[in-house]
Amino acid sequence: MKIELEEKRPGVFVVTLAGDMDMSTSPEVRKSMAPLFRPGTTQVIIALAGVTYIDSSGIATFVEGLQLSQKTTARLTLAGMNAAVEAVFELAYLREVFHIVPTVEAALGDGA
Amino acid sequence: MQLDSPILVDIPSNPAVLFLVRALVKRLSERLGFSSEQVERMMLAIDEACTNVIRHAYGNRTGERIVISFYVHPRQLEIHIRDFGQTASPEAFKPRDLSQVRPGGLGLHFIREGMDEVHYETPEDGGGLLRLIRYRPQPRVLT
Repeated sequence: MKIELEEKRPGVFVVTLAGDMDMSTSPEVRKSMAPLFRPGTTQVIIALAGVTYIDSSGIATFVEGLQLSQKTTARLTLAGMNAAVEAVFELAYLREVFHIVPTVEAALGDGA
Repeated sequence: MQLDSPILVDIPSNPAVLFLVRALVKRLSERLGFSSEQVERMMLAIDEACTNVIRHAYGNRTGERIVISFYVHPRQLEIHIRDFGQTASPEAFKPRDLSQVRPGGLGLHFIREGMDEVHYETPEDGGGLLRLIRYRPQPRVLT
């Protein structure tokens, strides 16, 4: 899995993922995402347009991210997921639990 | 399409190879006429089943063996996932409360959502055998 991290403006991070999120790749995402939930961070945006598959280990990674965000002032936003990935969130009854937006631009606008 | 003998896939218990299993499930189920939603759910189900084997039957050890067999019958696709590790307890098959937002515990739910029948057996020579069945779409008969 390809992971790119960018601080778009102070305290606002975009993590761009590409590839399949399964048991083998989810740990890397967890390692990249977890440290961002620290004092000073206001938003962590996960760009998911390049994610081609997600399973329960991927979902668990984002649930952990949500739990971390709830302990801090940082908001977790999932941006740009395709229909197949969104269907897995729905199957897990988690579609309404996360802040999900169509694009990273929409997420950045939300955080303005 | 139907086959007289199964397609056999013998993989190491390494999550890095599960993408190959997903690709095979995708292509085979597409060829058998399943809808795109059914294909996606079956890929997820088999992936989750293999992940469970790696985690629970083998304790995350990557050098063990998983044998996956695909039986293409006229009315159903039957997939066997055979491991030679720790036999699962009945507790492992109890569904969890999905209203709780917490990581973990979704694999079994995804397996049941992707397949029409889910059977777990304990072979005499040890390990476990998960039998997953999906009924095939049948052509409509015009009368």
